[in-house]
Amino acid sequence: MRPAAHGGADAAVVGLFAVAVIIAVPFIASGYLLQLATDVLASVALGYGWNLISGFTGYLSFGQVSFYGIGMYATALLVTDTPVPWYAAVAVGGLIGAAAGFALGFIMLRLRGILFALGMLGLARILAVIFNNWGFAGASLGMSLPAALTPVAIYAGMALVAVFAFACNAYFVHSGFGLDAMSLNEDEVAAVAFGVPATRVKVTAFVLSAFVPALVGGLVAWNRSYIDPTSAFDPSLDLETVVFVLLGGIGTLWGPLFGSVVLMLIGEQLLVHLPNIELAIYGGVVMLTVLVFPGGLVGLLNRFGWLVRPVILAPRDLPEAPPPPSRPAAAGDAPVLEIKELTVRFEGLTALSSVSLAIGRGETLSIIGANGAGKTTLFNAITGFVQPSAGEIRYLGRDISRVPPYRRARLGLARTFQIPRLMPAVTVWENVLLASRHGGQAHRAVEHTAWAIGIMGLGALWREPVARLSPGHQRQLEFARALGLWPEIMLLDEVMAGMTREERELVRAAIRRLPDFGVAAVACVEHVIAAVADLSDRMVVLDFGRKIADGTPQEVLRDPAVVRAYLGEPL
Amino acid sequence: MLALQLAVNGVLLGGLYVLVAQSLNLIFGVMGVVNLAHGALIVVAGLFTYWFATHTGLNPLWVLPIAFLAMGAAGAVLQRVLVEPLMRHGRRAELLSLMVTFGLSYVMIDLALQLWGADFVSVPYLQSSLSFAGLAFNKALLISGAFAAAISAALYGWLNYTGSGKALLAASQSPTGAICCGIDVGRVRLLSFALGVGLAAASGVLVIIVIPLAPETASDFTLLAFVIIALGGLGNYVGVVVAALLLGIAQSVAGYVLGGNAEYVLPYVLLIAVMVLRPERFRRFAS
Amino acid sequence: MSAEGARPALALDEVVAGIGPLTILQGVSLELREREVVVVLGANGAGKTTLLRTIAGLLAPRSGNISLFGERIDGRPAHRITRAGIGHVPSGRELFPRLSVADHLELGGRYAAPERRAELRRRVLDMFPILAERAQQRAGTLSGGEQQMLAIARALMTDPRVLLLDEPSTGLAPRIVLSVFETFPELRRQGVSVLLAEQSLALGLSAADRGYVIDHGHIVLEGSAAELSADKRVADTYLGR
Repeated sequence: MRPAAHGGADAAVVGLFAVAVIIAVPFIASGYLLQLATDVLASVALGYGWNLISGFTGYLSFGQVSFYGIGMYATALLVTDTPVPWYAAVAVGGLIGAAAGFALGFIMLRLRGILFALGMLGLARILAVIFNNWGFAGASLGMSLPAALTPVAIYAGMALVAVFAFACNAYFVHSGFGLDAMSLNEDEVAAVAFGVPATRVKVTAFVLSAFVPALVGGLVAWNRSYIDPTSAFDPSLDLETVVFVLLGGIGTLWGPLFGSVVLMLIGEQLLVHLPNIELAIYGGVVMLTVLVFPGGLVGLLNRFGWLVRPVILAPRDLPEAPPPPSRPAAAGDAPVLEIKELTVRFEGLTALSSVSLAIGRGETLSIIGANGAGKTTLFNAITGFVQPSAGEIRYLGRDISRVPPYRRARLGLARTFQIPRLMPAVTVWENVLLASRHGGQAHRAVEHTAWAIGIMGLGALWREPVARLSPGHQRQLEFARALGLWPEIMLLDEVMAGMTREERELVRAAIRRLPDFGVAAVACVEHVIAAVADLSDRMVVLDFGRKIADGTPQEVLRDPAVVRAYLGEPL
Repeated sequence: MLALQLAVNGVLLGGLYVLVAQSLNLIFGVMGVVNLAHGALIVVAGLFTYWFATHTGLNPLWVLPIAFLAMGAAGAVLQRVLVEPLMRHGRRAELLSLMVTFGLSYVMIDLALQLWGADFVSVPYLQSSLSFAGLAFNKALLISGAFAAAISAALYGWLNYTGSGKALLAASQSPTGAICCGIDVGRVRLLSFALGVGLAAASGVLVIIVIPLAPETASDFTLLAFVIIALGGLGNYVGVVVAALLLGIAQSVAGYVLGGNAEYVLPYVLLIAVMVLRPERFRRFAS
Repeated sequence: MSAEGARPALALDEVVAGIGPLTILQGVSLELREREVVVVLGANGAGKTTLLRTIAGLLAPRSGNISLFGERIDGRPAHRITRAGIGHVPSGRELFPRLSVADHLELGGRYAAPERRAELRRRVLDMFPILAERAQQRAGTLSGGEQQMLAIARALMTDPRVLLLDEPSTGLAPRIVLSVFETFPELRRQGVSVLLAEQSLALGLSAADRGYVIDHGHIVLEGSAAELSADKRVADTYLGR
């Protein structure tokens, strides 16, 4: 995606037009047309609700109808059993849906991909059975609501819900929180490694995407004045939502609106001429969209530079940003990182066995070893992605063995990945901003991001999508993103792999400059010793999960055990 | 005696489930794709059987080979047109294939609705039972379970004792390794999808002899098959048999003790319980 | 050695290849003559595995030619390259954990002529008698050394003219690696040329006629095994002294 060419004017025009239509409808339409407009708004709202969890956050759900049904029933029960006014009943119904989303989110969002999708599908079926057999709510016969509201009131309520749902999407598109959500879609592991509290973000997105359908359900209950489990938990409602959002453009701000309006209006025509094959047509549209233009209508418009997602929190021009303040002097002389007797076992295999090492302030340590020696496992244990079976990891004198990975990143432990795990679909700016918002300079994240991009020499490319960068630039961006955390220590995992000679020199220069950027210590994993020998103050050699040497590069390279491990057994 | 009766019914039902699950497992094992249209295929084949049996008055089992071959051929086309093109999307292929097969399922469900309506129907076939040693065997369940078991056994035999079957297993266990044997993995994927779809259709024919079907039950069978695979272990054909039999027994007991609804929700409760309590079971699905 | 003057079995000309955004091979040219054993030496990450995967067709080269006995094979689907006569023992071995040893041999020989298949099978089992004892055992339950032998046996069952061996020493005791290398003279006799990727300098050079040293996707040195053993620059490339 190119950055917005129209400065948001195109979006403002579409938005104002939509608002004008929403306001005008009750004055010019009534009866059937007003009902159609209400239905369109309901679809728009459902689409926007689903887009939050499945579009931006990337957790594909085929069960959001559960919350629609919960909202319906909660509203209906409140109205029949308590003296609350209709709008309060709808609002409370929405909140009950959101609460259900909160509770279920913690359980269901532990699953990913296929599992989450199927789990949500199953959940909707369970709820349908429960309501089918729950005498209190009329079981399979359903229940009626008292005297219906005026169609205009329901229309207005639906319009409010749709606007609210749109506003949630707009917030995702424009805010750092939305960037966090999108980072989960792109690469959850990398997101967590840069401080994104994944559970909190996805549960929040899920709660919102449960709240919206629950509100819609409550209003539809009023609209129909009769509800039953079959229509409340009708899985084809999820199909409609999926098809509207997909056709419009999944994970975009305007997709759900365009998709719903276009398909609802075409759908009405189809229903007149081709009754009853709506489901087949929707199913066909889903297949075609995925196969032919996965970006949907908005994706097509984007090709002409229209309605392009704005770069999140981006200033007009990359500012000249001052460096972050120097760090307060460390108390005591504890090493930045100290590992004691660390052992990691996977299913009987010992990947690391009782490894101890320390990295002092101002030190560059390289960790070398053959494939399978345990280098990457060591990094994963330090950053919290692997649970050690025994041992201790102390960071700035504090045991962090039990600290979750995203918090370790926030404390100033930054890492790079063997194969750069950047977010390819978003810009250089957003990749760095993701980290800056969670690091030690989060209170001035925009300036800090500009600084990190500038010092890594990416100033001219700051609005470019990552997919267009050369490998060398991608590596520089990884450094910039790591610096975004304002790290105390940087763990570099084979940053020279796949680099040309010139690119390698750039990376080496960047490593040399890290102390100037406030990085108190550097640990690099390499198997090409030549690439790091002259950069390192000290070297640790791992072999089959054990530390076999630790000392200055000169000492280590002369160590017979190291020579044997590296050059092979002399025969 | 009652316990034995329930167990026998459960085993027969489980025999049917083996086939329902095995066909999904075949596709998932080789392609890494959960075919969300699985249940719709079963339902369409089942309802076609209903139409065939009521209109011709012939034995519904005649549909078995027809459905297998016709739907298998359709499966081959679907694989080439719908699924294979998504594979170039790498990591995103999994979710895209979910969406495509989700769309496909509704095309088929609507097709079924148009042709046969929304009502639950069943084939009036062998409605009597066979008494033996004080136990009553529902003849339809007996025939259907036996056919399903025989087809599953044939599949098992083909996979384990023929070159082409082993090539399929090889491709599901290591695509790179299969290529190193000169196996055309693209063709194996085509074959597995076609076979999976054909077997889903065959199981639909057998299901409707025992269980009334309606278009809306399509996703129930997708989930049922998935639960069984999840319990039995991906690519573990013996584990799937055990899981299917246990689920059949559990359902038949739950249905007797707690009623039809409990029987119906049991697979979903199991699905969510396993997901929550034993998430490591799913690691291979999620990777 | 016997390979001198023999015709080239495998030739690479300026091959560029990579994974995703990374370009790993930055223009590699090398030659393997008939009945020759050539080692490609390099530290981890130098590009050895990418090189072998590119030759086997698992990665498509971005530019450059690869030919087998003078016939271009780059750009063909990988299974066709296997059938054309390139046997590949990939890194990580890529066995089928739930299939038996006998199944592996059967699958390897699936596209060999039926009369040739029995001959291949006999030879392979002569070379690795332990596999005959383990015929009904599942590959996942074999020891590391046996798995390596099985991976080689499977590749030999495809009746290759060129065998690509990706770091057979990974995770194996040197004694077992040597027993693997001891099969090279037999392979040579059967007309098979071997391209061996190896990290261990001593092991690699002990087995090969000639060698190439690869560093960051470039061939930086080449020569006979004796020359490379004597060349201090080889160790320096590794150790960065």
